[in-house]
Amino acid sequence: MKRLLGVALGVLTAIGGFVDIGDLVTNAVVGSRFGLSMVWVVAVGVVGICLFANMSGRVAAASGRATFEVIRERLGARAGLANLSASFLINLMTVTAEIGGVALALQLASSVYYLLWIPVAALAVWLVIWRVRFTIMENVAGLLGLTLIVFAVALFLLKPDWGALAGQLAPSVPEQETVWTYSYYAIALFGAAMTPYEVFFFSSGAVEEGWTVKDLLQERINVLVGFPLGGLLSVAIAACAAVVLLPAGISVTSLSQVILPVAEGAGKLGLAFVLVGIVAATFGAALETTLSSGYTLAQFFGWSWGKFRRPAEAARFHVAMIVCLLIGMAVLATGVDPVQVTEYSVVFSAIALPLTYLPVLIVANDPQYMHEHVNGRVVNVLGMVYLVIILVASLAAIPLMIVTGAGS
Amino acid sequence: MLNTPDSVPAAQITARPAAFRARPAARPALVALAALALLTGCSGGIAQSVSTAVKDSSSAVATARIALRQDMDGKLTKAATDTSLEDGLKEVEAGRSSVLKLSPATQEERVAQKQALDVLDQCAAGFATARAALAANDGGSPSLPDGDKALADAQDALKQLEGAVGSR
Repeated sequence: MKRLLGVALGVLTAIGGFVDIGDLVTNAVVGSRFGLSMVWVVAVGVVGICLFANMSGRVAAASGRATFEVIRERLGARAGLANLSASFLINLMTVTAEIGGVALALQLASSVYYLLWIPVAALAVWLVIWRVRFTIMENVAGLLGLTLIVFAVALFLLKPDWGALAGQLAPSVPEQETVWTYSYYAIALFGAAMTPYEVFFFSSGAVEEGWTVKDLLQERINVLVGFPLGGLLSVAIAACAAVVLLPAGISVTSLSQVILPVAEGAGKLGLAFVLVGIVAATFGAALETTLSSGYTLAQFFGWSWGKFRRPAEAARFHVAMIVCLLIGMAVLATGVDPVQVTEYSVVFSAIALPLTYLPVLIVANDPQYMHEHVNGRVVNVLGMVYLVIILVASLAAIPLMIVTGAGS
Repeated sequence: MLNTPDSVPAAQITARPAAFRARPAARPALVALAALALLTGCSGGIAQSVSTAVKDSSSAVATARIALRQDMDGKLTKAATDTSLEDGLKEVEAGRSSVLKLSPATQEERVAQKQALDVLDQCAAGFATARAALAANDGGSPSLPDGDKALADAQDALKQLEGAVGSR
């Protein structure tokens, strides 16, 4: 019974923790401009993140060490540094975007200008990382993030023409858009689903929670059930935008537009749920990305790391996270729009994907670390297919960004 | 001269920062992108810039009208409505600023720029009326329906301008 509860909790937190500011903004933008014609991209992204998160969780459980630590040892300092540079910079952008997302959501709830909320949000992130136990932190943020299910509820309450909505599912470029903007946002959506920090956080979290090979089944269920259900939540966000915003000619450029379909369908109660959900999702992701920054740096340089250690025993790990939070705050203090930081962060995530995921695939095939838990043939074939997709997305991202004026 | 209601001085609107679309601090990114666009031969010209500003402003005005209607229906809180209006106004100001910076070379382009600026001023004024109505919230003037009416008029003007820009 206890094990069953553990599995249920793991799945629920995986659903609630799946959506972050990148998913919220990108799905709403795509829904408002392209309808549901990019649901296939979400599906491709979800399969990809399941594949690689499962792989890195298995690396952690089988070797007892975090994926990044093993990559550094297995591939050497140079390859590790390439991986670190790409992952860390994207991570830093994502930390910035998530803290900005918390502040924007709090502005929607209070009408106090978001810049005033930024130090509060960053301080709260630091306090939670400093004081709260890993499991509690992960479960509370994940469970509160579940309130984003209100997007799916609102979709039903909006009583859309389901036939017309289903008709949008076929991949097609709307008349007012070009094939270039369609491709650009497809890559952004793919990058949002496969954000590198999720993999590093997942494997480091496995070490924090002391997973062993006995926990592999639960890890697999968490990933294979929780992430696809989280993906459905992403589709609900896009569908809400497609039903309310697209017909009104609204292109999403701010978080205040993302919540309007929920208020339309579910009124003030729905609004309360969605605001709690957005704060929880962005705050939870801010915790994860800040921790991921500390994890990757500490694991590369061989510092003592982990929340399972007292802060004094992992001082450099904690200082690194504080510095990341300060950098994120400084960037936001310039007045840069957090939504725009988010849009760029998901595209740059896509650019950095090969550097993140190729090493994971290599390590997951090394019997020295994995013993009998190395990748099977099917997983390797899928992994290779995804490496090709990732490479194409990575190479096409910058030219498309230039040609489309960043999707404008 | 800005077309603003008495309750909101014109200076209050023009004093806001210029920006790339809705994102004031994104100017370096815009400059980089514009430079790259020029290098790759993707530069648009006045018609394209005006068209982009009009589309962005149309989206902002449509958003504001939905937010106001939801507020009147009791579906949206005052804080959320206020934030929506503020975001929309930023979007319109960014569009206005980008049109203002254009350097028209022909008489036709000068006319297009002037028309666009007039309509975008009307949009900003509509937002000002809506925000004043939300702030008043005491049954006085302007009321929320007044705000909606001002935004509806701006939306009509944007549609006409969109048609005119499209036919050029």
